[in-house]
Amino acid sequence: MRSSAPTLTRERSEPLIAVRGVDKVFGGPTGPIEALTDVTISVERGAFVSLIGPSGCGKSTLLRLIGGLLDPSRGSIAIDGSPPRVAQVGKQLGFVFQDSGLLPWLNVVENIELSLRVNRGANRPRPRGTDDLLELVGLQQFRHAYPHQLSGGMQQRVGIARALVHYPSILLMDEPFGALDEITREHMRFELLRIWNRTNKTIVFVTHSIAESIVLSDIVIALAGQPGQVRAIVQIDLPRPRDAAIERSPRFLDYAAELRSALATTSSRMLRQ
Amino acid sequence: MSQSVEPSRDISAGERWAGGDNPKGGAWWQLGGHWPAVVAFIGLAVVWEAGVRLSGTPAYILPTPSAILARTWTDLPYLLSQAADTLGEALVGLLLASLLGLTAALAMAHSRSVERAFFPLMVALKVTPMVVIAPLLILWLGFGPAPKVIVAALLSFFPILSNALIGLRSVNPRALEFMRSLNASRWEILRELRLPQSLPYLLSAYKTSATLSIIGAVVAEWVGADRGLGHVIILANSNLDMTTLLAAVLILAILGIALYVIVEAIERRALFWHESTLTSDHEQ
Repeated sequence: MRSSAPTLTRERSEPLIAVRGVDKVFGGPTGPIEALTDVTISVERGAFVSLIGPSGCGKSTLLRLIGGLLDPSRGSIAIDGSPPRVAQVGKQLGFVFQDSGLLPWLNVVENIELSLRVNRGANRPRPRGTDDLLELVGLQQFRHAYPHQLSGGMQQRVGIARALVHYPSILLMDEPFGALDEITREHMRFELLRIWNRTNKTIVFVTHSIAESIVLSDIVIALAGQPGQVRAIVQIDLPRPRDAAIERSPRFLDYAAELRSALATTSSRMLRQ
Repeated sequence: MSQSVEPSRDISAGERWAGGDNPKGGAWWQLGGHWPAVVAFIGLAVVWEAGVRLSGTPAYILPTPSAILARTWTDLPYLLSQAADTLGEALVGLLLASLLGLTAALAMAHSRSVERAFFPLMVALKVTPMVVIAPLLILWLGFGPAPKVIVAALLSFFPILSNALIGLRSVNPRALEFMRSLNASRWEILRELRLPQSLPYLLSAYKTSATLSIIGAVVAEWVGADRGLGHVIILANSNLDMTTLLAAVLILAILGIALYVIVEAIERRALFWHESTLTSDHEQ
């Protein structure tokens, strides 16, 4: 059930996120910089998909293209058959960033509810309140705390709760645990899986940790090169729910080796160029 | 899952600024960490007093601190009514500078071409000595409060403009991306992100501008006025009344310090979230 072909096609139904032949070129002061070339991926509804690769491979750029924060230079991106901007305007996307991007002058509840004060006209009625979100991320006692009073892990929980305010169908996460210490980071992985399990979101997760991508994902997409391109798409068939013990299973180690070699051949190929 | 929450820093710290409890202990009128400054101040006054008395320097050259204090006390109603004029001109000037500075900063933050067109003009205005401009303004606008207000505004305008401009631009890029992802309008990004973010820069500007506005008002009063502390100083100077002159200077200094302290108090309250407040809180 593993596939390392550059595309993963499903005949059954249209994928929720479809990226087709996308290039992204940035105009820089020293001339155009190619960030991504010929990227084709698809993400099924409800899936947990990780984008992994070394720094500068364009994985964060790809996430921003999917989120409609950037426009592709070539190719097309569709979310549920429409351009990403439509999903963005319709509050179907929730963003979580590495440095949480919380506003330091707002407390936890105010930060979460900021999303409701902005662009009010487009907000859909909410099935549940902020208290449910705080309970979901385990921050009920900290509703009136300010970001500087929270640890890095707690700030990211607020970031996740904030992204979930509109009950979006897709969560886009850009190295959300990248700034956390190793212990907190491992803990947050399983917290995220618990939240994913309870909310049935589709998650696109950017990381540079091979272990993190395997533990979390249904599918890991390895990006590498400059400009970045898809080097491997690995389906992770490990049983769920997963826990920390999974990292010692033989299949986990196989997946890790496969991803490592996909990223390693890349770098040797880059050296030859 | 609640036991999985990582331990945080002292949460009760969050109530400190809200309750107005001074974290350093004691209220503001208690000396606290200021006693070295007080000792230095008193020491300087004693040396001054002794020096003047021992050398027999006449009061029209340099009066003693005790004589200045005595004059300040006896002439207090007069000095305070003159100070009220100066303070009024300075504050109206500061208000005017705020309106113009913030409007200009918003326009420049909105458009780089507006900035390129007008910022050099603002710099030119800033480097022009107000002592030169003040007589012109008096000539055009007469001896009333108008030229004083304008000079005060001109002097205090630039720090407000330049700091507001930097503040409006210094936004966390992740926070900005998040606002964009919410489809926030420019106005919403301004209201929710840029304005609060510019507050530390703005308050820092007001520490400078508040004192500059008083200087502006006094400078304009020197050139032509029939009231105000600047007028008192000029009058005393022509009468060789150094004691009254320095009493007026003392009142001016107190006005300047008071404005500065007020801005600092606002800063401590409003910027509880900012690094500047947080770091000073944590070193104890």
